[in-house]
Amino acid sequence: MSSLKRASTAPPAPKPPVHFAPALVIADNAALTGTNLISIGLHTIIHPRAKLNSTYGPITIGSNCIISERSQIGFQNPPSNSHSEGVFIENGVVIETGAIVEARKVGEGSVVEVNARIGKGAILGKHCKVGALCEVQAGEIIGDFTVLYADGMRRVDRAGIEDLKLKMVGRQTEILRKLIPSNPTKFQ
Amino acid sequence: MAEFKPYTYFQCPCSDNSVSVREVGGANPAGQEETDEDERTFDPRAPRANYSLYPLEHLLYCEDCHQIRCPRCVLDEIVCWYCPNCLFEVPSSSVKSEGNRCTRSCFQCPICTAPLSVSSTEPPPEGLGAEYATVSGTYVLNCSYCLWSSKEIGIELDKPNSVYAQLAKIKNGGEPLLLPKERRKALEERREAGEDGSHIPGSKEEQELDAESHFYNLKSFYQEQLSDSSPAGALGLTGDYGYGSPGALSRIMGLYTSGALGDRKSKNKSGTMREAHDALEGLQITPLSASDAIARLCTSGWEGTASLSQRREQPHNPRFVSDLRPVANLLRTKRSKRCKTCRHILSKPESKVQKTHFRIRLVALNYIPNIAIRALQAPSAPSGLLAPLKPTQFLLTFSNPLFDSVRVNIATPAHTPGRFGSKVTILCPQFEVGANTDVWDEALGESGGKAGSEREKRRTKAEASEGQGQAEAGKIWERGRNWVSVVVEVVPASLRLDGPEFLKSEEQRRDAGPLREDEDVLEIPVFVRLEWEADVAGEEGGGLATGNKEKEVREKRELAYWCVLGVGRIAQD
Repeated sequence: MSSLKRASTAPPAPKPPVHFAPALVIADNAALTGTNLISIGLHTIIHPRAKLNSTYGPITIGSNCIISERSQIGFQNPPSNSHSEGVFIENGVVIETGAIVEARKVGEGSVVEVNARIGKGAILGKHCKVGALCEVQAGEIIGDFTVLYADGMRRVDRAGIEDLKLKMVGRQTEILRKLIPSNPTKFQ
Repeated sequence: MAEFKPYTYFQCPCSDNSVSVREVGGANPAGQEETDEDERTFDPRAPRANYSLYPLEHLLYCEDCHQIRCPRCVLDEIVCWYCPNCLFEVPSSSVKSEGNRCTRSCFQCPICTAPLSVSSTEPPPEGLGAEYATVSGTYVLNCSYCLWSSKEIGIELDKPNSVYAQLAKIKNGGEPLLLPKERRKALEERREAGEDGSHIPGSKEEQELDAESHFYNLKSFYQEQLSDSSPAGALGLTGDYGYGSPGALSRIMGLYTSGALGDRKSKNKSGTMREAHDALEGLQITPLSASDAIARLCTSGWEGTASLSQRREQPHNPRFVSDLRPVANLLRTKRSKRCKTCRHILSKPESKVQKTHFRIRLVALNYIPNIAIRALQAPSAPSGLLAPLKPTQFLLTFSNPLFDSVRVNIATPAHTPGRFGSKVTILCPQFEVGANTDVWDEALGESGGKAGSEREKRRTKAEASEGQGQAEAGKIWERGRNWVSVVVEVVPASLRLDGPEFLKSEEQRRDAGPLREDEDVLEIPVFVRLEWEADVAGEEGGGLATGNKEKEVREKRELAYWCVLGVGRIAQD
């Protein structure tokens, strides 16, 4: 069917340089743009229509992460000099639908929920949770185990079940691997 | 500023507007106040008007009184109680005995009020046959939203079900809490021990009672005191003159009922009551210094302090997050509504919890025309504010929900009440709105097509003759199957208070204060009178046949009410 589609006359945009670890899943419809290096770790799942933009800085995503559809990773507009280090996402992070992540670092096991937004240069600690529609301001530093919820409320979660949660994310990636057809060669 | 949305509020006739009405216009003589209430203009700005104005959607209509009914003039009756979380119906007897909270496993997070779920602390079994393995270990309540867990307050459960009963036995921190039955037993045991020997000084644990055992101890102590100090007489009278004794009240009552008997009985005097003096008897000494709490506050800080809304949810008024407990879900009710005057049911939901149907639902939306407001010309100012002293036209669209055509009379005062009287003119105050028909009749019926086209013709003709863009006095603007729109011309008042003296109204002269909140909103009181001929035969079964054919029994109906049109904000110049 693709042959019937009207092809754009303009030459395709240059692909960003990528570094893919083996056994990752990246959907055909994911959008990788930009000029800086995008590196993605082991067993990470990139959903269709996830947008990774490395125009203004490199993007590094760890292993066992889930990047959902319509989420936007990377700087969306030119950053000021102070936070030009790019986006670094550690292992086992879940970025849910429509979230915008411009953070300098997202700690291990964190969850960024639907339509949440993390400003430029913010640092999110380990096992944090940014609730749906919550916002982290640019340059903010959020400690480990912080939960952002409701209308800017924060609390520190001391339940101590982070290992269990990481395990659950691992399971989720296992299932998603069967569900999402992967096409890493398209981007390489 | 948020954009202003035009609104229509209807006044329920149940409210007593004789107090709420203020004199309109300064020109009226003082004698005006004696005029009949019916002739007065409803003032939407009067302080009491707020309580009688409702959007049409909130109103009911009593078919027997032929009157609008607002939430203030209906009686609520509870049909059933249910938990909004598990949707189980709770019989009203157990609501009375156990309170208005779900006694199953429905809890709210004490931090964020999201529903809590029960989960096992053990990792789920893996590998072959995992689904057959029994899940062991303890359970905790988890909030999936803010990730709070009952582990944080030291509560772990043995079973995943009947959480309410389990929580009643555990204190924060995991210590067991005595149930009322056990409490009674323990109290009796201790009392016996106390009677045998000298009183054992209470340990620290004994000194600190939770709310329930505190109440229980106090109650049992005073009950005992009551029965000890005043053995009831033959007629329930006790002879005792001591102040503070429980017999005092019955003695005073006795003075009125049978004084002689009371006097005779009062000769044998018994001992007065004493007060509780230890924890066993329910005495709790409030700590005079708050140093403990202050020290705790210092260590736990802002994070560990419960917020006001969190404290409000809790019965024991905790100060710290670690003292919070899961909140059992409040039960909801389904209610039926009755007219206060004739006691007929106006609204009755299905008694089953899961069903959202209504058996009876007489909403005003089906009986009185809805009024929609729209500006005729696009507002000139980009802010959408009304320019003062500039005539502006609005379209009022009356849509008729009845299956009979309705004659409508509308009237407004020439000036809106209040300090800033805007001029209001309704170009066509009298018109008829066509009957409502079944939507499907129009769409499917063959005759419907013909009639529809005829109506269409009429409509286009009306448009052609009346001329789009030019409102004419005495003519309606546009007409549809069951709706009519008419034009209202408004000259918004100027909000200036520093104008020349002769231009000011009497109210402005009396009160020259600055502009108050929402005084710039232009609200027009409109008196609406409806007249239509209703089919009586359909409603009352035609049982009252008095020679007429049933079909022809038609009754003239009339309904009149005030409503308020919120048109827009006036710009301040």
